[in-house]
Amino acid sequence: MLTFIGLGLYDDRSITVEGQEALRTADRVYAEFYTSKLIGATVEELESAHDIEIEVRDRAGVEQHPEEMLDAAESEDVAFLTAGDTMISTTHVDLRLRAHDRGIDTHVIHGVTAQTATSSLTGLQNYRFGKATTLPFPYAHGADGLPASVTDTIDENRADGLHTVVYLDIKVGHERADEDEYMTADVGAELLAEAYPDLVGVVVARAGSPEPLVEAGTMTELADREFGEPLHLLVVPGECHLLEADALVELADADRDTLDIV
Amino acid sequence: MLFTHAKWIFTAADGDTRRILPATKHYPFDPASGNEGYMGRRKKIVQECERLMDEPENIRNIAIAAHVDHGKTTLSDNLLAGAGMISDETAGEQLAMDTEEDEQERGITIDAANVSMTHEYDDTNHLINLIDTPGHVDFGGDVTRAMRAVDGALVVVDAVEGAMPQTETVLRQALREGVKPTLFINKVDRLISELQEGPEEMQQRLVSVIGDVNELIRGMTEDMDDVDDWTVSVEDGTVGFGSALYKWGVSMPSMQRTGMDFGDIMELERNDERQELHDRTPLSDVVLDMVCEHFPNPVDAQPRRVPRIWRGDDESELAEGMRLVDESGEVVFMVTDIGMDPHAGEIASGRVFSGSLEKGQELYVSGTAGKNRVQSVGIYMGGEREEVERVPAGNIAAVTGLRDAIAGSTVSSVEMTPFESIEHISEPVITKSVEAQNMDDLPKLIETLRQVSKEDPTIQITINEDTGEHLISGQGELHLEVITQRIEKNQGIPVITGEPIVVYREQPQQASPEVEGISPNRHNRFYISIEPMTNDLVDTIKLGEASMDMPEQERREALQDAGMEKDASQNVEHIHGTNILIDDTKGIQHLNETMELVIEGFEDALDNGPLANEPVQGTLIRLHDARLHEDTIHRGPAQVIPATRNALHNALIHGKIKLLEPMQDARIDVPNDHMGAASGEIQGRRGRVDDMYQEGDLMVVEGIAPVGEMIGFASDIRSATEGRASWNTENAGFEVMSDSLQREKIMEIRERKGMKLELPEAIDYL
Repeated sequence: MLTFIGLGLYDDRSITVEGQEALRTADRVYAEFYTSKLIGATVEELESAHDIEIEVRDRAGVEQHPEEMLDAAESEDVAFLTAGDTMISTTHVDLRLRAHDRGIDTHVIHGVTAQTATSSLTGLQNYRFGKATTLPFPYAHGADGLPASVTDTIDENRADGLHTVVYLDIKVGHERADEDEYMTADVGAELLAEAYPDLVGVVVARAGSPEPLVEAGTMTELADREFGEPLHLLVVPGECHLLEADALVELADADRDTLDIV
Repeated sequence: MLFTHAKWIFTAADGDTRRILPATKHYPFDPASGNEGYMGRRKKIVQECERLMDEPENIRNIAIAAHVDHGKTTLSDNLLAGAGMISDETAGEQLAMDTEEDEQERGITIDAANVSMTHEYDDTNHLINLIDTPGHVDFGGDVTRAMRAVDGALVVVDAVEGAMPQTETVLRQALREGVKPTLFINKVDRLISELQEGPEEMQQRLVSVIGDVNELIRGMTEDMDDVDDWTVSVEDGTVGFGSALYKWGVSMPSMQRTGMDFGDIMELERNDERQELHDRTPLSDVVLDMVCEHFPNPVDAQPRRVPRIWRGDDESELAEGMRLVDESGEVVFMVTDIGMDPHAGEIASGRVFSGSLEKGQELYVSGTAGKNRVQSVGIYMGGEREEVERVPAGNIAAVTGLRDAIAGSTVSSVEMTPFESIEHISEPVITKSVEAQNMDDLPKLIETLRQVSKEDPTIQITINEDTGEHLISGQGELHLEVITQRIEKNQGIPVITGEPIVVYREQPQQASPEVEGISPNRHNRFYISIEPMTNDLVDTIKLGEASMDMPEQERREALQDAGMEKDASQNVEHIHGTNILIDDTKGIQHLNETMELVIEGFEDALDNGPLANEPVQGTLIRLHDARLHEDTIHRGPAQVIPATRNALHNALIHGKIKLLEPMQDARIDVPNDHMGAASGEIQGRRGRVDDMYQEGDLMVVEGIAPVGEMIGFASDIRSATEGRASWNTENAGFEVMSDSLQREKIMEIRERKGMKLELPEAIDYL
């Protein structure tokens, strides 16, 4: 049995009760933190909080050499952990399909993700979001400047009046940097300001933590501010319903005149 | 001495033994020889050069190019002496242009060197900027680069040996750059005094040399619509004869001027009255007159040459400035060589095509960001550089301060399309490892190696900072030997060098079926196939006739001319080495922004082939289809590069990829009784003798053998023929190794590189 468990947004307490029970009874626990990471707890804290041992796999250990995990799952209860939800914004459906190929039962226990937190914290309605996109570090995506897929997504969503979630790049264990790198919202806004200097963006920082932050401004303004500890993401609002506008003014300190209200 | 023929240059027939000067630094001006004194005369010449620099109509930029030992450098010295720049007596043994110590020791020219001189012709003083070029095949890159800077090439051919393989090579290099040739047939004294030929016999021989050279010129200019008839003829005065050693020369115009006919000359030469011969018809007058009369000046040459070597907008002001040789236009300077001066540092020399170079200018260097500041500008006088105020368009300049420039850079006052990269016909075929004996020298060694590759782009350097064992790849055993000697002598870094290692290639032998490449996360898929390219296509790329730098339309036409289908030629996405990537996909979202990573994966696979990590050549890759993940983050480098790299290796294996080895054409001139030993030296090296024939009193053996087997040939052939053979080798491209040797050689390379000693299972055809 292979159980995919989402750890939720912030620390060892963000997991669901169902997830916690499955985690504590698993024979083996694997995790990956290259797609996202819990900011409020280290792996050791996770281990001691749940009284388990976790083997952390790197990208190659998940994507290229999953055999060890699958071998174990044939005879034991194996848990596979990620931050957030295991199937949102990650590529782990592939691992689930490989398990099915080998006749291994799988089970998914959901976690809270940045996607739901974004709606919750900003007051923007989840019905009114278009495609999401990730803004990569300029060195990481193999093209110059702002990738077209990011601007295309924002443009298409805006043409339809929809909001866009812009995830900001995370580099864990990248050869270029000694430390893990998290793109902060001011850096993201600065990149986006190349194409959209006057467009309004909403920063969501540390969703799921005791002190989340939500702040609106034009990309140019946001590029000059600081938003503290990671993780950050950006939302580009499309047309706002009256109530959405009220929420952005109240919760994110937005300037009502800059919003596109219908 | 590498080439036995070199001996006769320095051994006069009358027993007056001349010798190469000892290997000490010398000056091209003999302080004792002139009445005015060394400094005075030099100053005058510099002043005259500076005056003439502003009159492009009276400038000639020329190169002397020839097969090794046909007498270029000796001829250059004659010209310098004729222009009053070295004493008459020492011309011929001074070898003023061979400035590197190792050049004088070896008696051959290695680097191209520059010199400016003045010559009066038709009552007008002319400024002649001369570049001497090496003739040995190992140094071919220097020749190509020198040709970019000049408008005329004086091709020197030995009367006894006739046109040789490298005569053809240097001619081709000149003509491809749009440089006009004239011919000087050297060593005519040997026909008279040594071979005792009569007038008929001699004329026949000279006519056949001219005929051979013209046949080459005709063949190479056939398709050039920007030149008229460039063949040479005695009647037109584009052919001269003489002896650079004895400093006399003759041409149709000179005979008319001096009233001396060939009969007079033969008589004087036979009677050993060479001094009188020199006094009455000096070589330098004959050749320099020919240079002034028949070579184009920059104003004539640049409008024709600029479109050949520059792909920028021909309607622009820059183009206009270059066409008009406008000294007040924007600065455009093409660097052809980087030299080292112990005091001034790096010196960039090259041709000023437009504007004027001056101290303090801030100039762009192609391929680098930001600007470099010119610290000094100068011209060359023999082995020395003379600083001047400014060097205007149409001249050869020596510039310091351009720290980012490499041989081949375009330097300009405004940002511009760079000149076409100077194509090197020869690829590196041999590699040697270099290690500092003393670990403390490591940083200095790395610095020196970087410098070496800046100076000579035909050298490839692979720096391995982890092991400290660096690799130098070049044109031949001698080429690498010279480079390592320079590191030891000039930089004083004691080094340990490894055995020479041959550079191999890998190439598929048939087309592959469509192969799927899957990214590690399995969300990205690439569908490709490969096929071997025709030799015509490979040559077109090697010669630079089709490259990614040129406008699409032109590239398309060049590829179609070489036999590529129209559709494919329109979809060329990338060229790497002699491999082409065709993008046959249509309208795949996000493929554009992923293409760079796709290419990176392909390049990695091509640089390190599946058999033995040797470079892949002559492969056409077709990208048929791709499936990409929606979000950039899941189709980043970690996903796309391995997917395309593995797919390509897989396809190459399906295409029955095999190992190719570099070959060398060899020609050996040897007395009859040593012929068997000479041909045995080729056959014993897995070689093939193609032809054997009598030429004069010698037998000529022509053949081909693998470069790997030719290592050590020099000493073996010497001992096999008791030192009586002279020979010449020329790189002849790569050939598939015989099947029986494939596996063994691949394993040998893999072992050397520390790779796994088993091949992928799919390689079951070897």
